[in-house]
Amino acid sequence: MADAHAAHGDHADHKPSFFVRWFFSTNHKDIGTLYLIFAIIAGIFGGAMSGLMRWELAEPGVTILTQWSGGDLEAAANFYNVLTTYHGLIMIFFMVMPAMIGGFGNWFVPIMIGAPDMAFPRMNNISFWLYGASGILITLSLFAPGYGSNIGFGGGWVLYPPLSANTGSPGPAMDLLILSLHLAGASSILGAINFITTIFNMRAPGMTLHKMPLFAWSVLVTAFLLVLSLPVLAGAITMLLTDRNFGTSFFDAAGGGDPILFQHLFWFFGHPEVYILILPGFGIISHIVSTFSKKPIFGYLGMAYAMVAIGFVGFIVWAHHMYTVGLSVNMKAYFVAATMVIAVPTGIKIFSWIATMWGGSIEYKTPMLWAIGFIFLFTVGGVTGVVLANAGVDHYMHDTYYVVAHFHYVLSLGAVFAIFAGWYYWFGKMTGKMYREWLGALHFWVMFIGVNLIFFPQHFLGLQGMPRRYIDYPEAFAYWHGWSSIGYVITIAGMFVFLITMIDAFFFYRRKAEANYWGEGATTLEWTLPSPPPFHQFNELPRFDKGDARAF
Amino acid sequence: MKRLIAAIAGSGAFMAGATALAERTPGGISMLPANSALAEQVHFFHNWILMPLITFISVFVLALLLWIAFRYNSKANPVPRKFSHNTLIEIVWTGVPILILLFIALPSFDLLYKEDVVPDGKQETYRGDGQTGDFVFANDFAQGRAVIRPRHLEVLVDDGSGARKLKHRDDYRLSGLGDPEVVVEFETPPAPGTSIVVRGGRSGISVKDCALTARYFDTCEKHIALAPTMTIKAVGYQWNWQYSYPDFGDFDFLSNLLPRDQTTADKYLLEVDNRLVVPVGETIRIITTANDVIHSWAMPAFAVKIDAVPGRLNETWFEADREGVYYGQCSEICGIKHAYMPIAVEVVSRPVFEAWIDGQRALAGMDPMFDDDVKLASAKTGDNGN
Repeated sequence: MADAHAAHGDHADHKPSFFVRWFFSTNHKDIGTLYLIFAIIAGIFGGAMSGLMRWELAEPGVTILTQWSGGDLEAAANFYNVLTTYHGLIMIFFMVMPAMIGGFGNWFVPIMIGAPDMAFPRMNNISFWLYGASGILITLSLFAPGYGSNIGFGGGWVLYPPLSANTGSPGPAMDLLILSLHLAGASSILGAINFITTIFNMRAPGMTLHKMPLFAWSVLVTAFLLVLSLPVLAGAITMLLTDRNFGTSFFDAAGGGDPILFQHLFWFFGHPEVYILILPGFGIISHIVSTFSKKPIFGYLGMAYAMVAIGFVGFIVWAHHMYTVGLSVNMKAYFVAATMVIAVPTGIKIFSWIATMWGGSIEYKTPMLWAIGFIFLFTVGGVTGVVLANAGVDHYMHDTYYVVAHFHYVLSLGAVFAIFAGWYYWFGKMTGKMYREWLGALHFWVMFIGVNLIFFPQHFLGLQGMPRRYIDYPEAFAYWHGWSSIGYVITIAGMFVFLITMIDAFFFYRRKAEANYWGEGATTLEWTLPSPPPFHQFNELPRFDKGDARAF
Repeated sequence: MKRLIAAIAGSGAFMAGATALAERTPGGISMLPANSALAEQVHFFHNWILMPLITFISVFVLALLLWIAFRYNSKANPVPRKFSHNTLIEIVWTGVPILILLFIALPSFDLLYKEDVVPDGKQETYRGDGQTGDFVFANDFAQGRAVIRPRHLEVLVDDGSGARKLKHRDDYRLSGLGDPEVVVEFETPPAPGTSIVVRGGRSGISVKDCALTARYFDTCEKHIALAPTMTIKAVGYQWNWQYSYPDFGDFDFLSNLLPRDQTTADKYLLEVDNRLVVPVGETIRIITTANDVIHSWAMPAFAVKIDAVPGRLNETWFEADREGVYYGQCSEICGIKHAYMPIAVEVVSRPVFEAWIDGQRALAGMDPMFDDDVKLASAKTGDNGN
């Protein structure tokens, strides 16, 4: 495979003009870049929202948000609920998903499987711009009236009616939010169709599915989850929309509907969604662990099919988010059992990463630090998930900070660490520039300390019964909330280091990235191309059907 | 650091004799103290099964990562090995987690069913006359709930010196288990004047102070929880709770957050103007629904959390061990004042409860229900805000 690209460096790179290139883009790498920029902007907003919440929660009493609402406690409380809601929605739909699937997926899936581009380049383009439109709608929704004269929808990212119906949020904020999610969902479905088609049809000659790199596997499984789960969300929020505007009563008990139906539909989407957020991260971590250990991934098939298993089981565990809504006891027992099953394939992944490192010759470069951080923190988040899976204990924990801590360990510390790992891993490949190694490491360590300090004490708050989505709390909770907010300050300092690292890489360090700057451990196809890759790659396809060529 | 003890102690006459509890504490890292045998069971399951396991797994993974960092860094191990398979280890790390999950599942399901099935135990009292040695217990439970094993029955005798629990086989024998009538047979008929109490049913809850292994294998001594003595209806509103006691007359009242200037700093956001009042040691059924949006009725001391959903009736139950005031907070986001609709349960003795009920009935213009003067006189009239 190494001989396939000797001609790449010199063949003409005719890029379109700026406007055509970035606004009408059909190039997978450009679209990937657009998604990453989108995710960074969304991440800044979503992160700022969490900052406001942590600032407010640093001490008991409502002291911060009232300054924004002119001293009006009601408006401040509404604002707090709006912050929790939009923080969740933005981080999930507009930060992690665009970064992982839209960004890294678009950038590297075609390259890794030896394809010149995605199967449907124009559909790829509309996928991105639907996201843009969706982003505009959610922003509008933030400033539209929700409850009374209060702006925004403050019912939590789960959008449960009746709070999200006319009873709880009669204003147009919720309608705009529904439309925003429609567009985001349509975008993701189109993107997922594109990935499935690309991966099934455009792999290089000889690259069977069982030779395909694990990141491509992870995106393939994720794409299936998207295609199967998002239509259910779309249906649920459309029913909600007609409940709100056209007099239907799918979720209105007074009209014979059932609010719990929405929860079933929502979580039928919502649970696969959390795997959508983390699976591409699994793929990224596999590549990084293998690269820096200079060893092939341990148990490749097990790793691939563990993801398939997680994706499948992820569809049949949704009601473990609903243990307190009044399900029958036998149903709860089923969901307890099914949920615990997920621990098995997840354990296979964790131990296979460790086995990949075992016997390796590990270089602790920045991406590897993030990857190891991911493995440990995802383990911690995973085992608290096993605790929560038990309905008998979840009756105590449900909707407390224990749950908040759990899902931030797997998402904020899991998915986000995977994104940073991928960012540092591929930064040189995408931009052609290197970052300063010690700055990247500093970013990792500051963030690692910061996010753990934010979220570890939240387990204690949850065990002490602190409910989530509370703007104010009894004095006894002040101690751990105080530590948690200090953790946020450290995390912000970490993000500041990140900013410096990037400015330094672009404007001061200016070290040019080689084609394969990680050396012998990096074996996938992106490392056979120059950094950054040419505008179009693989005019001559790499081949895996001759000799002992190995994709991974 | 301040604790709630002082605050609880000063919260009214009802509380005079109650044990003060360290509830939510600054820097606290554990579950709130349990006030029911079932909540104890939840604590056991979390603190002694789940916590050690997840701590071990996390530390194990961390230790492996640290060992790898020490042993397999590029300086210590310049030449990487090239293996990528090991069938045995892969079978082990698939099989061992399955075993661990089975180990968790056993007590988990047991706990879940105990929490979710409202007890249907019943109690019969007999008088000894010095001649009768057999006492007939009607085994008239719903299908699948009949008394079929000795552990489904508890037999206590009281000869005036206090109730004493008897041991099956040593003190009495059983015949007719699973039949419509179960007979409790004594070798020597109980003396005249002795009262014999038989509690039967499948709603046995392990008593406190049971050894860990016995708890795990569910072989603890059981206390059979009786069918609820009352049903309390909790209706969630934006943003307060409405409570009614349909078994005790047509009255209801709202339970609102007590403003900051009317309570102590420790209890602000927990204390309410009108608490839910329940008798100690009785099975209480709570049914919940909501008037506008979804709320959730949560009481950590009983390990209870049940959503209040418009158009639905949910039920759960608890049996309080100790008197005192216990706090919970609405646990499903319900709008602007979600954080401002706490739940407070005041557990009192039976006479105090009856006096309180009659007080509520009087407020609603109804005659007293309990006319036991002695009880009324001994009950302290509290400043429960009503």
